[in-house]
Amino acid sequence: MIKLENVTKSYSTEVTALQDASFDVAKAEFVFLVGPSGSGKSTLLRLMNREEKPEKGEVWVAGRNINEMPDAKVPHLRRNIGNIFQDYKLLPNKTVFENVAFALEVIGRPKHVIRQQVPAVLDLVGLAGKQERFPHQLSGGEQQRVSIARAFVNRPLILLADEPTGNLDPSTGEGIMRLLDRINKTGTTVVMATHDQRIVNMMRKRVIQLDRGIIVRDQARGVYE
Amino acid sequence: MFSRLSYTFREMWASLRRNLTLTLAAIITSSVSLLLFGLTLLIQQGFENQLSQWEGGVEMIVYVENDASPAQLDVVNQALGSTPDVIDVAKLRYLDIPASIAEAQRLFAGDPETLQLLNEQNIPTQFKVVPVAGTSPELLTQLAANFDTLPKVMRVTFPSDQIKVLDSLSGFIGVRLYLITGFLLVSAVLLIWNTIRTAMFARRREIEVMKLVGATNWFIRLPFMLEGLLQGLVGGVLASGLMLLFNANWTSGVQDFPSESGFGAFVVTGGYPLWIVFWIILLGMLVGAIGSGTAATRFLDV
Repeated sequence: MIKLENVTKSYSTEVTALQDASFDVAKAEFVFLVGPSGSGKSTLLRLMNREEKPEKGEVWVAGRNINEMPDAKVPHLRRNIGNIFQDYKLLPNKTVFENVAFALEVIGRPKHVIRQQVPAVLDLVGLAGKQERFPHQLSGGEQQRVSIARAFVNRPLILLADEPTGNLDPSTGEGIMRLLDRINKTGTTVVMATHDQRIVNMMRKRVIQLDRGIIVRDQARGVYE
Repeated sequence: MFSRLSYTFREMWASLRRNLTLTLAAIITSSVSLLLFGLTLLIQQGFENQLSQWEGGVEMIVYVENDASPAQLDVVNQALGSTPDVIDVAKLRYLDIPASIAEAQRLFAGDPETLQLLNEQNIPTQFKVVPVAGTSPELLTQLAANFDTLPKVMRVTFPSDQIKVLDSLSGFIGVRLYLITGFLLVSAVLLIWNTIRTAMFARRREIEVMKLVGATNWFIRLPFMLEGLLQGLVGGVLASGLMLLFNANWTSGVQDFPSESGFGAFVVTGGYPLWIVFWIILLGMLVGAIGSGTAATRFLDV
């Protein structure tokens, strides 16, 4: 589903965010990217989403070399990738329903599809009765669920999550991880950047560890070291 | 398709309301500059009406009675052509009855009473005379005395000092008004550009999410571009309304001026004001499109 071949990315001559990174992620796999701040986890996610381009190497997503993809095709790539963030990135002036519907609306999905898919995904993430609330009326965990619903409503092939539990207390974080696990079991590939040791050790999924832009460990059913 | 259109217009409207003061400032600036543009065209047309009988270097007009026969006209024509060292024969023009009526309609547009007195039965026809370059006005005046005695010639006239002043004033005012219009149009473009930039900044998080979920750049840009286009269009419509109002007031006001004042020719009637409206609105939309288009492209990266 995702393949990186000798990818190098630097932001200046002194700062190398990623160096010669190579790995494959299979369909429906769940992968943790771990490492300290500045180790290159977020850069990896941004490369997979074509928010960044590498200086060297190739990034393949769903069988396509996305570095060579014309800019006009990038929006179509992103319709197959859901994004989840530590700060949720919800729109404060829109309700829960509208926030999720927004993701379908801006890619031109018809109203009847939106009316059908949004309640279904809100039900999946456990927010069935809260669709008329605004983000500020929700807890952090609930806001992250809205963010996951928005990322998943279009049934993407891949979910990229950047520290999704970073702002949450441990028990709420566990709830979010159970939800991501459920989504993963529907066949969606999940790549999650985190430095939440407890979560990684609890899930026992594949772990790719980065240190100053270099992959130092790639372990199936790994733990945080 | 319908849902995309509905989204585009809904967002455009919401953004206009959100930035109401900036939007109003952009509309007012564009309408003032477009009004000035329209008035410049009107004034220029007024000058052209006033100067139309002397355009193309004409320095002398020989009026011939309405009932002159072709043979009598030929006598005048031959007399004018007999002094090629003074009169530029190639540029000698004869305005027959329909052409003279058309010219009178321009000259007396603001003086309907005089215009009513002129018809195909009494309007004199005319020879427009362009002198050879370098001819002294005295020589031309001497020659005119000879033409005055030809059969059926009513009178020979020269441009008055007032006309000469108007001619130079026309160029002086025209260039400066176009320059001021240009500056104001540039400021309207910049103001619309700034309005769109502010609107995009206010919605930067929304734009970020849109990009992440796969909205195309055009889909994101379009409401902003339409917003600028609408600002230019509204500015154009406002300017057109004000320009037509001004023209109507001027047209009715000029009728009270004395006929000999010459202001009658400064009235612009017929289809010309509507032609100006067309250009004002087109220019307004262009100003809006340039301002918003460049801003929406420049500030899309969030």
